[in-house]
Formats: sequence, structure tokens, C-alpha cells
Amino acid sequence: MATDDFDPLILTYCCYWCSYTGADLAGTSRIQYPPNIRIIRVQCSGMVHPNLVIDALTNGADGVLMCGCHEGDCHYREGNLRAKARADAIAMMLEDFNLEPERYRLEWVSASEGPRFAQVVTEMVEQVKKVGPSPYK
Amino acid sequence: MAVKVAQEWFAICGGCEVTILDVGEPLLDVLPALEFVHMPVIMDHKLYGQTGEEKQMNIPEADVGIITGGVRNEENKKLAELMRSRVNTLIAMGSCASFGGIPALANQYEISEIYDRVYRGNSTTDSGDTPQGDVPALLDRVYALHEVVKVDLNLPGCPTTPDMFVGALMHLLKGTPFAVAEKSVCDSCPTIREKKAVGTLKRPLEPIEGAGEPLNNVRCLMEQGFLCLGPATRAGCGGMDGSAPRCIKAYMPCRGCYGPLQLDANPMVDMMGALSTIGLDPKQIPDRAATFNRFAGAGRLQAKKARK
Repeated sequence: MATDDFDPLILTYCCYWCSYTGADLAGTSRIQYPPNIRIIRVQCSGMVHPNLVIDALTNGADGVLMCGCHEGDCHYREGNLRAKARADAIAMMLEDFNLEPERYRLEWVSASEGPRFAQVVTEMVEQVKKVGPSPYK
Repeated sequence: MAVKVAQEWFAICGGCEVTILDVGEPLLDVLPALEFVHMPVIMDHKLYGQTGEEKQMNIPEADVGIITGGVRNEENKKLAELMRSRVNTLIAMGSCASFGGIPALANQYEISEIYDRVYRGNSTTDSGDTPQGDVPALLDRVYALHEVVKVDLNLPGCPTTPDMFVGALMHLLKGTPFAVAEKSVCDSCPTIREKKAVGTLKRPLEPIEGAGEPLNNVRCLMEQGFLCLGPATRAGCGGMDGSAPRCIKAYMPCRGCYGPLQLDANPMVDMMGALSTIGLDPKQIPDRAATFNRFAGAGRLQAKKARK
């Protein structure tokens, strides 16, 4: 039920060291992107337990975007690899909770990639608009 | 003056009523203080008057209302609202009333799919139309009682143990607060845990190592590879004295009949965490959503819609 008046709410976890700074750069560079995201700054993408993703999606969010450092760039050396491993578990849980896989996306955004952050957010909003509101809303 | 009790049953097997009748000797202490004014399972008190002379359903006013079973059809819903307006304290008794219970496994399917399955397309019965008119229509899904009306106390269990029921009743008579402890089955389980699985996931009927020995010599069943819902299930099935969980005493893994620890908990997420922590692979478990929400489907299980 993709409708034009559906305004998705997308929870975004950004890691402190790369992605949050990247999002900041997108802001200070005045790059436009859809206002549907709510950013939560976390120390590392590896600290976001699958519970938090499922809780978000079952309590009002339509999508969850996770942004971390590029592989090999993690401030904590392997936190983002953990996030990558968890993406599999999250995909499985989305299926169990009867949610579309498009509702979760893991992306690497470095501190210098402001335009890329805006592009990822734009794509994510489009992607979630296509699948429609979360059935748990 | 005796405390008036009204009881009604909805989508349920009747096991919780057996619990009330199975209280045993403590019933003698409680009984003089109670007066049952409405209880279909043991007494002849009809909703539309004894000869059907009344036009509207009626339940006598009471101090305590006990409802067992989930809210499955329109009649259940109306009766729940009626009961709520007639009693001071409403108790949801059993896992069906508290979390939907076994009937709520039907929430995995759309109501039209259920009708089709039951009345048509079943090879052993004649196909026919869905009955209408004389029977109350089903709601879109099974609801837990607290999703329909305000509930003062949820007593989980399939069925609730008699001593938990008596305990709650005694506290109510004395006017002291009563709460079911928010502990998990694992907290009251005496088996040995080393936080590491010793094998892969096994089928439920494979032999359990240490069966027959005292429980504190037996390795945790989950660590042996048997799917046990203990980590995401509320303790209490052993009785109020905190003895070992009933299934574990019989060397069987927990089935989760006491439901999740909190009303808003998500046993599916908790069980995934518990399994992967000790190194078992949740992917090997068939029908995960239904298995982990076996007794807690109301509000948790969702019908699978056709994927776009």
C-alpha cells in the first residue's frame, strides 16, 4: 500500500566515530534529504543488539537504518563486523515477525561521506515507502 | 460478609476451572469467606435469566470477577465488558486470559483462512457455508483479556497452580497486595548451567542425559541441545514455595506455559538471544514464531500476508 501521503518514520543508528560525523557533515554542507529519519547516536554499530531493531519496528518505526564505519575503519577494530554478523540474525527475526526485509538496512558511512549519507537516507525512505507502514503500527 | 465471586469462561479448555476445583484442603479455609454468584462450570445460573425471560445478558454484581480464556468471539467481548462493569476486582486466570494461550496460535492466520480450513477444503468433512446468525461471530483474532478491558491481576499458567490461585485469593480477602514474581523458569531451575552448549539442537524425544538422577546433577536441558523455553518464561509452575519447574522435574524441557515475564515482553527476541548466547543456531528451529510464542500469541503473532 504505497501511498503518496505515507510518511515513514525511520530510526537511524549512527556510530559516533564515522556515521554521526558523516550525518553532521551532510547537515553543515546543507545537503537536502528527506526529514523522515530520527538519528540515535551510539558509540559503535556493533553495540546495537537485534532486540533494539525489533523493538523499534514493533513499537512504531517503519524502518531501521544502521550506519557504521567502513570495514577496517572501526574505532573499536571489529564492532562493525559484529553489526554485519547481526544483520543475518536480524533478517531471520524480521521474517519471524512477519516484517519485510526492506525495513532494515546496514550501511557503511564514513565521516567524510556527507553526500553519501544523504543518498543512503533518500534511498532508504524510498525503499520503506514502497513496502508501506509497519503492520505493528 | 462473604466475598461475592463471579466467574466466566471464554476460549478455554476448562483446565483452569479444574484448578479451582482442585485446590484441595485449602479450599476449606477459603470457602466460608466466598459466595459464588455466577459460575457456569459448576452452577446453573443463566445469562438471560433462568427461563430465558430477560432480553439482555446479565451477570450479578460481585466483588471479584474471574475470567478464564482468551477473547475469541463477539459474545466473549461483550461478556468481558459486562463483567468489568459488575465487579470491583477482575482477575485474568490462566495463560489464555493473560496472553491468549494455545487458541491464540490461530492468530497466525487470517480469519478467512481459518473459516476456509474448517468449513471448506477439509478432506474429512463436508464443505458448507460459514455458520451465521445463531452463533456469535469470531473477532478478527484472539485477544488477551487485558487487550479488551482493564485487568487487575494476571495469573499465568496452563493451568495456574492451585496454590497460586489460593494465594491470590487469600491476599485479596485480607486486602494485602499480591504479585506474581517476575522471575524466569531458569531462576528456579536446579540443573547445572555452564553457559555453553555441549551439542547441537536435538529433537524433543531424544534421550535426556541424566534422566532419573537428582536434578542438581543434571546438565541444563538447553545446553544439552533440547529447546527449552525456560529463559523467556515466568517461574511459578513448581508452586509458590519455589520448587523446581514441573516439566523439568519430569526431565522434559519447559514449554513456556507460564507465558512471558512481562506483558510487553517479546519471548521470540529473548529466546533468540538465549539460544545464540550458548552457541545454538536458532535457524534450525522449525516454526520459530509459533514455538517461541506458544502460549503468548495474543498481540504477538501476526497473520502472514501475501508478500508483494
